[in-house]
Amino acid sequence: MESGQESRIENTSEVQTVDASETLADSAGATTAPVLEARSLSKRYDDVEAVVGLDLRVGPSEIYCLLGPNGAGKTTTIHLFLGFLEPTSGSAHVMGLDVAEEPLKSKTHLAYVPEQVMLYRNLSGLENLAYFAALGGKESLPTDRLTEILGEAGLQADAVHSRVSAYSKGMRQKVGIAIAIAKEADALLLDEPTSGLDPEASNEFSELLEQLKDRGVAVLMATHDLFRAKETGTRVGIMRHGRLVAEMTTDEIGHADLERIYLEHMHD
Amino acid sequence: MIRHIVRKEFMDVVRDGRFRWCAALVGALLLVSLGTGWVQARNAQKELAAAQATARDHWESQGEKNPHSAAHYGVYAFKPRLALSFVDEGVDSYTGTSVFLEAHRQNDFLLRPAQDATPAQRIGALTAAQVLQHLVPLLIILLTFGALAGERERGTLRQLLATGVGRLELAMGKALGATAALALLLVPAAVVGAAAIVMGSPGPATSPLVRGAVLAGIYLAYFATFIGLSLAVSARAPSARAALVVLLAIWVVNGLVAPRVAVDLSKWLYPTPSAIEFAHTLEQEMANGVEGVDRPDRAAVTQNLLAQYGVERTEDLPINAIGVFLQESEVFGDQIFDRNYGALWDTFKRQGYVHEALAVTAPLLAVRTLSMGLAGTDVEQHRHFAAAAEQYRRDLVERLNGELTENSRTGEVYLASADLWSQMPPFRYDAPEVSWVLKNRALSLLMLGLWLAGAFVVVTYAVRRAEVA
Repeated sequence: MESGQESRIENTSEVQTVDASETLADSAGATTAPVLEARSLSKRYDDVEAVVGLDLRVGPSEIYCLLGPNGAGKTTTIHLFLGFLEPTSGSAHVMGLDVAEEPLKSKTHLAYVPEQVMLYRNLSGLENLAYFAALGGKESLPTDRLTEILGEAGLQADAVHSRVSAYSKGMRQKVGIAIAIAKEADALLLDEPTSGLDPEASNEFSELLEQLKDRGVAVLMATHDLFRAKETGTRVGIMRHGRLVAEMTTDEIGHADLERIYLEHMHD
Repeated sequence: MIRHIVRKEFMDVVRDGRFRWCAALVGALLLVSLGTGWVQARNAQKELAAAQATARDHWESQGEKNPHSAAHYGVYAFKPRLALSFVDEGVDSYTGTSVFLEAHRQNDFLLRPAQDATPAQRIGALTAAQVLQHLVPLLIILLTFGALAGERERGTLRQLLATGVGRLELAMGKALGATAALALLLVPAAVVGAAAIVMGSPGPATSPLVRGAVLAGIYLAYFATFIGLSLAVSARAPSARAALVVLLAIWVVNGLVAPRVAVDLSKWLYPTPSAIEFAHTLEQEMANGVEGVDRPDRAAVTQNLLAQYGVERTEDLPINAIGVFLQESEVFGDQIFDRNYGALWDTFKRQGYVHEALAVTAPLLAVRTLSMGLAGTDVEQHRHFAAAAEQYRRDLVERLNGELTENSRTGEVYLASADLWSQMPPFRYDAPEVSWVLKNRALSLLMLGLWLAGAFVVVTYAVRRAEVA
């Protein structure tokens, strides 16, 4: 965040104004080292400021949901953590590694599930998983274990060997999660993962995230879905015009509170 | 990690029905063109060998005859089809395959297959070299235009790079995957080609297997260049469709535009006389001589011989003065031929340099030159053969004139015995070594090397800066 700039950081339903460098995690007294950390992270495209001075920390077993409208900077933030984009200023860190300086090493700790998990149509779900897992450093996973992982991710057994060209979006998302599980990553970056999924598939997806959280994985999820964010997330951050304008823990607010706070910020 | 990418790319490609059809078509064309080329080359070589034997038989069956009459009777020299000519027939169809060797004249080559070909044959004649030079690059483009642009469009590029795989590793894996898929049609073709050389080459050549190996290396470098360029375009193009359009434009420039421009530009820079102009100049110079090359004067030759031997009458000379004059006329003619044909060949050589230099705009120009060179069907090796045939003609005529000079007196009717003709060695041609070919084509080798290195640099740059989404 730019020098001298302040952001309204809200805790539960009470609006607080704190210095931008002081995130909720800090104020909450988080002691564990963050898995994901953004330090004054900014990204500018020509005249558009996509992310402005973002300070963010996500620790192990946390599900941090980034809420915001289209163009708020959620996807850009995730791409900055993935090293797909170079920050204009500031830095993104994964397990203490500066992503810009060590892009490949930092990715060994990351798994990523985009809005549309796109797989190779000519390969089966199992072959896709084996391929992505191998590229992620899990070359020696036996087929049995890969099949088991697909099952853990919720993919039906009879679909494991079918070509992905016949998969629904939900099935592809499950393979995407399976890829993340197989990698045993420390952090999971999710970009609108439940968009377009039916309620049942969304619920299954949320359950999978819970399981990953329980295994100590740090999850950063960009989403439009306030309900899902409240149900699944441990913390929620609201972004607007590239800025993190509010941050709160979910166990201290209700659905209505979250919606109200969100709408307030959207109409500011 | 790369091996996983290679394996996946290979599986992805071979499961693609479009690739299977295209590869089957190109592979079949390659094998058929190799097979028919080999059969045609072998038949042509057999015909040439039979014609050579018949011509020699005629030569040896002349009976008693004046040696100079025998020199006018002449012999034919047949250009052998070299071992790899079935891969690339080069300019053989246009340069001719036999030359009539006789006294006083350096004749043009005869038996040019292109002269007798119907328009349909001219269009339809597909050689293995054409398949390798034009169709395989097209297949490479079809295989790789979407390698990175398509991944980006589908969204899989983000997921791939999110795994932690390096961009260069990914590009290398894709390049090797495409290579493995191409190997499905190239390896059988290479095996068939090698077997054709080993089991019975259509014609002689020094180290045919070495030539074949170098030729294979040249084509691999050409294909690697195309794979590199294709991946570079795919990495930078905004979409797979845009990449395909750009790559097809490159293919058209490389395969159709650049060769045409190279021919026209080289002829414009170094024009050659028309056949009629050339023949007219030759005729004029043979009749009148040129500065520094005077036509021999029979009276002066006779006077010199009389002075040399200290006699007053030609009848008293121990040799035949006519034989000496004929040989001096021959030497005069040779100087005129060297002057005119030498200039013509040098012009062809300069045109060749322009052609090779223009390979900086299209790798095909370098590959085509090297391919013809290694197959033994380029202009330079035609010149090599023509020079050998001409040297044989000069040696033969000199020896026959010597027979007349040494074995008869001036004014005497002399008939050489019938066994003289078989004492004249037949024409034997040794094709140049591979090193000779490569030295001659060093510029093309350099150009191809630059293309390969350039493609590597460009793909490295493009992939590092490729947009992810």
